[in-house]
Amino acid sequence: MVLVGAAVGVALALVAVLIPWLPPADSTEAVKVDNVYWFVTIICIVIFALVAGVSLYAVWKFRAAPDDMDDGAPIHGHTGLEVVWTAIPAVLVTAITVYSGVVLTEIDTVPKDHRVIEVTGQQFAWSFHYPDENVTSGQLALPVGQTVEFKLQAKDVIHSFWVPEWRMKEDAVPGIVTDVVVTPTKEGTFTLICTELCGLGHALMRAQVFVLSASGYEKWIADAKAAAAQAGSAAGKTLFTQQCGSCHRLADAGTQGEVGPDLDKVLVGKNADFIHESIVNPNAEIASGYQPDVMPGNFGDVLTEQQLTSLVDYLVKTAGKR
Amino acid sequence: MAVEVRGHEHVTEHEGPPPRRGLRRFTGAGWLRVLWVTPLSFLLATALVVGARSALDYHPLTEFQVLLTAWMIIVPLGFLVAIGGFDYWAYWASGRPTRPEDHSGHGARSWKDYFRVNTDHKVIGVQYLVTTIFFFVTAGLMAMFMRAELARPGMQFVDNNTFNGLFSVHASLMIFLFVIPAFAGLGNYVIPLMIGAPDMAFPRLNALSFWLLPIAGFIMLASFLVPEGGAFAAGWTNYVPLSVEQPPGNLFFQMAVQWAGASSIMTALNFLVTIITMRAPGMSFWRMPLLVWANFATSTLVVLATPFIAGSQFFILLDRVLHTNFFEPGGDGYALGYQHIFWFYSHPAVYIMMLPGFGIASEVIAVFARKPVFGYRLMALSLMAILVLGFSVWAHHMFVSGMSPWLRIPMMATTMLIAIPTGIKVFSWLATLWEGRIHFKTPMLFALGFVSMFVIGGLSGVYLGSIPIDIHASDTYFIVAHIHYVLFGGSLFTIFAGIYYWFPKMTGRMYNERLGKIHFWLTFIGFNVTFFPMHWLGLQGMPRRVSDYADRFGNLNFIISIASFALGASTIVFLYNMIVSWRRGEPAPGNPWRALTLEWQVSSPPPIFNFDEIPQVVGSPYEYGVRGARHAVLNGDRAEVPEPEQVISH
Repeated sequence: MVLVGAAVGVALALVAVLIPWLPPADSTEAVKVDNVYWFVTIICIVIFALVAGVSLYAVWKFRAAPDDMDDGAPIHGHTGLEVVWTAIPAVLVTAITVYSGVVLTEIDTVPKDHRVIEVTGQQFAWSFHYPDENVTSGQLALPVGQTVEFKLQAKDVIHSFWVPEWRMKEDAVPGIVTDVVVTPTKEGTFTLICTELCGLGHALMRAQVFVLSASGYEKWIADAKAAAAQAGSAAGKTLFTQQCGSCHRLADAGTQGEVGPDLDKVLVGKNADFIHESIVNPNAEIASGYQPDVMPGNFGDVLTEQQLTSLVDYLVKTAGKR
Repeated sequence: MAVEVRGHEHVTEHEGPPPRRGLRRFTGAGWLRVLWVTPLSFLLATALVVGARSALDYHPLTEFQVLLTAWMIIVPLGFLVAIGGFDYWAYWASGRPTRPEDHSGHGARSWKDYFRVNTDHKVIGVQYLVTTIFFFVTAGLMAMFMRAELARPGMQFVDNNTFNGLFSVHASLMIFLFVIPAFAGLGNYVIPLMIGAPDMAFPRLNALSFWLLPIAGFIMLASFLVPEGGAFAAGWTNYVPLSVEQPPGNLFFQMAVQWAGASSIMTALNFLVTIITMRAPGMSFWRMPLLVWANFATSTLVVLATPFIAGSQFFILLDRVLHTNFFEPGGDGYALGYQHIFWFYSHPAVYIMMLPGFGIASEVIAVFARKPVFGYRLMALSLMAILVLGFSVWAHHMFVSGMSPWLRIPMMATTMLIAIPTGIKVFSWLATLWEGRIHFKTPMLFALGFVSMFVIGGLSGVYLGSIPIDIHASDTYFIVAHIHYVLFGGSLFTIFAGIYYWFPKMTGRMYNERLGKIHFWLTFIGFNVTFFPMHWLGLQGMPRRVSDYADRFGNLNFIISIASFALGASTIVFLYNMIVSWRRGEPAPGNPWRALTLEWQVSSPPPIFNFDEIPQVVGSPYEYGVRGARHAVLNGDRAEVPEPEQVISH
């Protein structure tokens, strides 16, 4: 029995170590979370090996021949054993609870010098406001090694903010502001995933995350400011990439969204009035094969009149007249 | 003590009222009356809405949701009246003569009796099981569609809206129309027999609670037919504000839950009263089989918790139809309030879907290991501990929801505590095997499969109970893996164990053992290959409830889909075995498993009132291997009653 249990334990340990179960840990929080994960894994392997050892041994050793009409030994219980298997799990789960509680407190703590980024979830796109630099973008950029407190809000329904490599996740809930703290430790491009079912485009609600060097971050901010200062259809293109591209495909902007109609097709021959109406009042005319109430109806309020004009100009130029 | 001998000769004299002829056939309870009353109630509901809205100077028809709500309340009521669910009470309340001694609606003499309002708990049990297996197959087919879509990244067969509808209806049917009522069906059949009672305490209520169930299932399925937007597609959790903003299909979830919930509350009350008041003489609580204990705990959970989900869905209904603002943040509602109310039911619901399975596993393992259940009293007490603790852990579903941060650590502590009574149960089952004489019949295979799969589900539950890990893993495929290890590996395996175990008792015929074993191994292997890799998918970054995913997960999802089709195919073996064995299986003896509990001491199937003579319980139900020990004395078989001091009680 001990052999069976030990064999199962070793096999499980190999499975746990050799298969990369977790993605890379690219934030200080991720390292702490992974420590809890390994702590729980060790306990679970021991318990599972014990259970598997006893049960595999028992079903082999105590199997009965089909014509065996005898009964087993009339054992009704054993107080000592029952106390042991109540007490040991109690100790183990207490240990897990205490360790998890300590780590939770650590990863929740916001250091004094930290950056704040305001994140807004909306069907089916994320937008990020950098209050220190007064920049808003559809992409998330942050400097490596600095703690960031994300203040999460949602405009319509509940969304959830998750970057697997950071291990951190928090829902963005309409009506309240929630927060999550991350200290990225590795430069690179990551994906921000919405993990709370938010409607038809849920599977596609993603945003790109750039963790940059300090200088790279400054350059990114400068570029974003320059893009915001553009006028006319150049500004329209930027706006489109940030606000519309996650749902709509448009060759000129290089966007691949599939939630809403392909604008290269549905806007052919449409004039500025139609495009303007479609943005501020999306239910006015629904492209065939699509449903009403999927596209947010508040772009008329979100965008300034000037932004709206440049967006319409851009769309007329690229998709409308052909 | 003197045991009253109740002959049943007089029962057969009651042939019921003379058959109705001509047009009067349409006024008596039954399907002919359903034919005209149901359309009439549809017209009545429409007229009520149109009349009321016109009187209030609203456009009578523009609010489609108001019409839908009225239809989904009044049409089912009309159906229930027509099928005869209220006939006895209506006669009694209106002062017309009732027929208290008429048992014409009791027991099944032909297959037609299964399609009527029937007050026999054995008929109702079979009605429940056949109905729930129908919905199990339907919901399983939906899972096959989902796996077909997920076999490759990108969109293949269905659009996002259909996909969201599929997983929402799949989960809702599996939970509300399969796992919960399948246990209610098994309990309905077995519990009165196990405690030595002639029937449930309230047979007419029992009949009515069954007929609410197909209504709930029909409503859920019908939601696919809603012209605008199709089925409800906000998940079975139906979180606000998404659910409030959904197309009208979402109403179908709110109303179906009311009907299914009312059904389970009524059944649970019936179980509680039956178990408390109708145990045979001598059956103290400490002599009850563990399945009875489990149903006692489950029914308590149902009665206390189910009103919360009913309330939560009514609030959404009001927010949608009457434009109240319980949860809508735009009108000072609180979106997280919904989640607290919802999980206050839905966490206990996990135990509603688990505890009866614990009971079945205890029965099956004791019988097929030929040993007393190890630590019987602690097994019963751990059920009660789970019942109490089950109400204190709901917010562990909300660790990343943005709820008050202080609530997290207390909820983690109580969540971890639940692992202790659960562990006690697993260790006691293993100890029951020790020094046993284990016979690997199909029910035993499923019971042992349940224990091993439930250990995996329980351990992944410990991962999720730890908040730092949960922050990473929640709302990913890790959750999908976890709930299927608990509800498929746990609940469904025990339902299969129970169906195979009591099949001879219910049908009077043996199932095919070979097919049963093939079914088990196909299910066991298909299940593990389908769901185990999902742990990896979730931890690596695949969120749940998506129709499309990152390309790098493509190969594993393809393997999962193939395995899930094999898993689906295993159900064909099960259905074939059940249908063919029911019709042509070998006749079953009264007690093919040499079990001690009372249901096996009568013929298969049992007599119409279960016991010709109320049994006298004299000892524990699990005294396997104890020489001279008896659980009960039946049929005047008094010679072998041991003297009280000889009874080995635990």
